[in-house]
Amino acid sequence: MKHYEVEILDAKTREKLCFLDKVEPHATIAEIKNLFTKSHPQWYPARQSLRLDPKGKSLKDEDVLQKLPVGTTATLYFRDLGAQISWVTVFLTEYTGPLFIYLLFYFRVPFIYGHKYDFTSSRHTVVHLACICHSFHYVKRLLETLFVHRFSHGTMPLRNIFKNCTYYWGFAAWMAYYINHPLYTPPTYGAQQVKLALAIFVICQLGNFSIHMALRDLRPAGSKTRKIPYPTKNPFTWLFLLVSCPNYTYEMGSWIGFAIMTQCLPVALFSLAGFIQMTIWAKGKHRSYLKEFRDYPPLRMPIIPFLL
Amino acid sequence: MAAAAATAAATKGNGGGGGGARAGAGEASGARKRRGPGPLATAYLVIYNVVMTAGWLVIAVGLVRAYLAKGSYHSLYYAIEKPLKFFQTGALLEILHCAIGIVPSSVVLTSFQVMSRVFLIWAVTHSVKEVQSEDSVLLFVIAWTITEIIRYSFYTFSLLNHLPYLIKWARYTLFIVLYPMGVSGELLTIYAALPFVRQAGLYSISLPNKYNFSFDYYAFLILIMISYIPLFPQLYFHMIHQRRKVLSHTEEHKKFE
Repeated sequence: MKHYEVEILDAKTREKLCFLDKVEPHATIAEIKNLFTKSHPQWYPARQSLRLDPKGKSLKDEDVLQKLPVGTTATLYFRDLGAQISWVTVFLTEYTGPLFIYLLFYFRVPFIYGHKYDFTSSRHTVVHLACICHSFHYVKRLLETLFVHRFSHGTMPLRNIFKNCTYYWGFAAWMAYYINHPLYTPPTYGAQQVKLALAIFVICQLGNFSIHMALRDLRPAGSKTRKIPYPTKNPFTWLFLLVSCPNYTYEMGSWIGFAIMTQCLPVALFSLAGFIQMTIWAKGKHRSYLKEFRDYPPLRMPIIPFLL
Repeated sequence: MAAAAATAAATKGNGGGGGGARAGAGEASGARKRRGPGPLATAYLVIYNVVMTAGWLVIAVGLVRAYLAKGSYHSLYYAIEKPLKFFQTGALLEILHCAIGIVPSSVVLTSFQVMSRVFLIWAVTHSVKEVQSEDSVLLFVIAWTITEIIRYSFYTFSLLNHLPYLIKWARYTLFIVLYPMGVSGELLTIYAALPFVRQAGLYSISLPNKYNFSFDYYAFLILIMISYIPLFPQLYFHMIHQRRKVLSHTEEHKKFE
C-alpha cells in the first residue's frame, strides 16, 4: 500500500508548518487534523481549516485523502479559525440567560423598579401568564438543545457567544422590564385578546417542537446526513408541504402570539428582529436544499407559505 | 472596462476626511476584485458626485458670504440651513448606490455614516432650535463642508480616471484636523441640546401607555455621546493607517516613472 506524504503550509505566509509522512491513503481530513494537532497543540482540530488552495473552500472532515485531487505528496493550506466553542455550550448559555433574567423582573428584585415595588406581584393575570409562557419557551429550548437537536457542526467561533448572549439576554431584559413593570397596561381587548394570543402561542410551540422532532428523526445519531424533510403523521409537520423551515415559521408565530398577548412594543420589535434573522437563515437553507436535491418540492417557500 | 476597474479600486475604501460621520472605515480597504459600475452607472455617479461637490461648494460660499455680510462668525447656520439639509440628506442615495452594487462599499457602514450625519442635522440641530445659534454648529459644518468638497471631487476624478495627486493628498491628510474638529462640533452641539430636550421631553414617551414602551431621548443622546469614545479612535486610526498605505503607494509609483 502506497503511503502519502502530507505537508501543511500556512495559507497566508506559506510557511511550512508540518510535514507528515507515511499517511494512509484512506486517512480522512479529520485524522490529518488530529496528526497536525500533535505538532501544534494550540490548534486543536475544531479551529483548523485545511484546504487545497489557500483561498479555496475548507475541506470537510469526512473527505478521504486518496479521493482528493492531490499527488502522493499532498500540500494542504491551513487557516486558523480562531478559538472555538461548542454549539451546545453556546445554546445553553444564551438560553439560560433569558430564563433567569426574566424571572428577576417578574419577582421585582430590588433596584429595578422603585423600592416600594420590591418583591411585589402584578395584579394582572396576563403578566403571570406571560412569565409562564416565556419561561416555558426557554426551558423547551434548553431541553431541545440537550436531547433533541443533532448539530451539523460541533463548534462555532468563540466571539459568537458574546454576540448571541448580548442579543438574547438584552432583549429578554428589555421585554421583561416592561411586562413586569408596576405601570404595565394590560391588552386593550382584555381576556379575549389574551386567550386568542395564548392559543396562537401554544399551537406554535407545539408546531415548533414537532418540526424539531421530525428533523431529528431524519438524521441518525452522530451523523451529519442531510435529507429532504417531508410531512409525517403529525399534522403540525404538514407545514413542510409549504415551507422549507417550518420550525422558523412556528417560532415567528409563537413570538407574534406573545406580542399580542402582552401588547408590548419591545416584544414586537424582538419578533421583528428574530423574523429578519430567521428569514435570512431560511433563505440560505432553502437555497442549500435546492442545490443539493434535484427533486426538491417546487411549491415550498423558505419561511412563509407562498410569500417569502 | 479597465476604467471601471480603476474606478472600483479608487472609489472604494479609504474613508473620507474629517467630520464626525464615521468616514471611510466603512469602505472596505484592500484589494477586492470587483467589476465596477457599467458605463451608464458611471455616468450617473459622475453626475451625482459633481452635483454634490457643487452643493457643498454652495454651502462653503454661503458661509463665507454670510460671514462677510454679518462681520461675525456667530449664527451662520441660518444662512446655509437649507442647502445643508438638502445636500446632506441627499447623501442617503449613497446607501442605495452600495445596495445596488454600483459602488463597492459596505451598505452597513455607509448607512451608519450617512445616518449619523442625517441624525445630527435633523434630530439634533433642526429639532432643538435653541442650539442653532451655537458656535459648535459652525465647527462641524465647516469640517463637513471641507471634507465633502474634497471627497466628492475625489470620487468624480476617480470615476473619470484622472485623479490629481493634490485631491488624493487632501483627502488623506486634511482629515487629521477636520475629523477631530467635526467630532468636537458634533459632541458640543449634542451636549448643548440636552437641557432643552429634558425640558420639552422631546421625542420621549413614558409609562403608562398602551404599548408598554418608553423612550427617553435625553438618555439616548447621552448614549450617543458615549459611543463616540470607542468609535472615534478606531475610525481615526484606521484613516491614518489608510493614509500610510495610499500615500506611500503613490510615492513608489512616482519613483518608477
